[in-house]
Amino acid sequence: MNLRVTRSRPWIWGFAAAALIWLVILAISGQGGGQTLSLALSLAPYLVIVGLGQMLVVTAGPGNIDVSVAPVISLAGFASVAVSAGTGSALAGVLAGIGVGLVVAVVSTVAILGLAIPPIIATLAAGLVASSVTLHLAGGFTAVPDPGLRELLNLRPLGVPALAVAIAALTWLTVVLLRRTVYGRSLIAVGQNRRAAERAGVPVSRVIATAYLLSGALAGLTGALLATYIAPSADLGTRYLLDSVAVVVIGGTLISGGRAVPVGVWGAALFFILLDGLVNLVGWSTAAQNLLKGGLVLFVLFLAGGGDRARSTAPRLRRRPRPAAATTTTTGDNSDG
Amino acid sequence: MHVDNLPAPPGTERDRAARPPVVTARGVTKAYGRTRALAGVDLQVRAGEVLGLVGHNGAGKSTLMRVLAGLESCDAGAVLVHGEEAPAGSAAAFGTVRMAYQETSLCPDLTVAENMWISSRHCLPRLGWRRAASTSVRRRLDEVFPGHGVTPRDRVEDLSLAQRQMVEIVRACLVDRLDLLILDEPTESLGPDAARTLYAYVRRLAEAGTAVLLISHRIREVLSAADRVVVLRDGAVTADRAAAGMTEPDVLTLMGAHVAVPSERTGTAHAATGDGTGARVVAELRDARGGGLHGVSLRIAAGEVVGLAGLAGQGQQEVLERLWRPARRDTEVSVTRAYVPGDRQRSGLLPLWNVGDNLVVTAMRGIARRGLRRIADERDVVRHWVERLAVKGGADAGITELSGGNQQKVVVARAFASTAGLVLLDDPFRGVDVHTKTELYRLIREEAAKGRSIVWYSSENAEMAHCDRVHVFRAGRTVAELAGEEISEERIIAVSFAESDEPDVPKEPGESGAPDRAAHGRTHG
Repeated sequence: MNLRVTRSRPWIWGFAAAALIWLVILAISGQGGGQTLSLALSLAPYLVIVGLGQMLVVTAGPGNIDVSVAPVISLAGFASVAVSAGTGSALAGVLAGIGVGLVVAVVSTVAILGLAIPPIIATLAAGLVASSVTLHLAGGFTAVPDPGLRELLNLRPLGVPALAVAIAALTWLTVVLLRRTVYGRSLIAVGQNRRAAERAGVPVSRVIATAYLLSGALAGLTGALLATYIAPSADLGTRYLLDSVAVVVIGGTLISGGRAVPVGVWGAALFFILLDGLVNLVGWSTAAQNLLKGGLVLFVLFLAGGGDRARSTAPRLRRRPRPAAATTTTTGDNSDG
Repeated sequence: MHVDNLPAPPGTERDRAARPPVVTARGVTKAYGRTRALAGVDLQVRAGEVLGLVGHNGAGKSTLMRVLAGLESCDAGAVLVHGEEAPAGSAAAFGTVRMAYQETSLCPDLTVAENMWISSRHCLPRLGWRRAASTSVRRRLDEVFPGHGVTPRDRVEDLSLAQRQMVEIVRACLVDRLDLLILDEPTESLGPDAARTLYAYVRRLAEAGTAVLLISHRIREVLSAADRVVVLRDGAVTADRAAAGMTEPDVLTLMGAHVAVPSERTGTAHAATGDGTGARVVAELRDARGGGLHGVSLRIAAGEVVGLAGLAGQGQQEVLERLWRPARRDTEVSVTRAYVPGDRQRSGLLPLWNVGDNLVVTAMRGIARRGLRRIADERDVVRHWVERLAVKGGADAGITELSGGNQQKVVVARAFASTAGLVLLDDPFRGVDVHTKTELYRLIREEAAKGRSIVWYSSENAEMAHCDRVHVFRAGRTVAELAGEEISEERIIAVSFAESDEPDVPKEPGESGAPDRAAHGRTHG
């Protein structure tokens, strides 16, 4: 594989790792590979939606992270199922889920921009509020998800899940957002150097607020769809906190901001879903799974940041410790794929 | 409590010139990149004398101080401490040389006593250091600044700016043996009483045999406190005289200023009429106060280049900040603005992007339609500006691969490529080579001729000759306004050092620190 190609296309690694795991699964189970892939494609979109939101927040610059996605997914699940059961409209349910995500994000955004609270604390606090509301709703919850929407989510013409196609379109929209809109470019500018972006006339606060709101809305959407697909529960979103950050990082997005790789989120999400499958196949416990994932994230961060910095020879890059900075982008394009 | 010890008076010698030199600089040169800060400085600081060091912005004062204190090595020449050559950074050689910084070196999160431990731990006991430090800092503060109002348990960030400066000076004095005390603008944030008691203490120190190096822009204070005055100009000592019998105009002349201090009348006449052409006023400050300003009024007409001059940090950047984000009622700006930061690493470059992306980020907003970029139009703008300023490497080069001068061209082009009617320049040409500077000066004049207004803060007075009008700042006020022929380096130096006869207004506590804490703080070098 040409080194220059992989450097300018950091999303290749996620897909390569996913393909590797897929081959291992094939070798161990001896089942049809198409079925495994189809299953992975029906589970990955949920992780991709929340991952795209997380990616936008991470791109906004150092320190920006949304740790409220997990409680938002759980709460949006209950809210959307309750609303769709109450109104009889699946669309109203999905919109309710998105609305819940937006409300929690508004709380985080006000805390981050208005009160200058560090994002990790602000979103943690907003998430705590959301999860206590979830616990309140969960007691004696009897409504069932909309059967029509559930059927739609299970739809697999020719073995390709319809949801996967829809979310692929959403990913493409995100690519367009980052490459072709003023907002996307502003977000990437803010993530690279907030002070410079401010002096260049970028409305920094508005850009950052929008990133958090989009992340909240996308997490709410994930919750609404996931609760219909599986069933609403108080720990519906729990695993999505670590996973959403992990797929962003493994996908090639810079954890320090300024470079977003939407397509990479797909590769990393498929990798994670297949990894889950493999670990289940081998019979490992959940604890071992999490250990493996955590280790992987640290490994990728080491490759992207620590290892690179040690090798960096250009002294001017050292001034701003920025993992995989200009040394890895040869094209200067920050919205690869 | 041996931190309180002062060196024993050295014998009974009366003649100061005969006393042994504490620190000697011999042919010291120092360059930062292409900027030559010191060009062969010879200087002797003798025991028991107060030596005043004066010079304008960029004369090399700070560099010389850092070299004399052993913080910076010199490129050529040598620094001798007590007659022996001392390598920079050697704690053994420079242990008895202490420096009080203008922008204090205290840790804001720690208490006063804890800060004393940081800089004087080698003279504090290992056990019970806190009490020892508290006792000595309190005693010394009482001695130098009676009525200081500081207790050793105060956290530094809770202190006012003046109190912080007091603690900083005392911090420098707290050592078991003090041979040379360097004071960098010690009275800039002190009130008149504190300044008086400080100079009294400096005299006592000198009588006890300590050498004191006093750096100040307040010429009168230097003349009254110092035994000898050394003038630094363009990195070299241009005069070394006894302070007795010198007057303020004498020193200013030695520094390269026109002696004639302009009267108030010349300044106000122009302020009232703008540039006199009657062009449309695009921005106006009306008696702006607060945030480091003490009543600044200025008007900027369309197509005008207005300079903000004076010593660094006298309110020029605060004016730019007001014009960039006109939040208060005393500021009125009727056109769009663009900003050229001077500190390009911190507030200019977007390091992951190439030249074209960096250049067009501001203009992009104007070119786009309904939030969607028009990439072809953006490319045209980039091509135009890369050609016009001859940016090396072209539009596709990574911005971090460029030289500093070319990076600065991109940052300047970013502002001018937009449609902004008012361009704010925050000392953008510091450290830029002469050739690039000349190109950019021409660009500024050309753009002004097209009707754009430019407000230009510069720490290099020679640059101000490219302006239509220049406001000279001192302590948050405009002390003079020069126009046309009046603008010259000499006049600006003369005006920025001329001390008004009215007593200095003591600054409000913590006021000058405020802009640093603001969300989009200032851009210091």
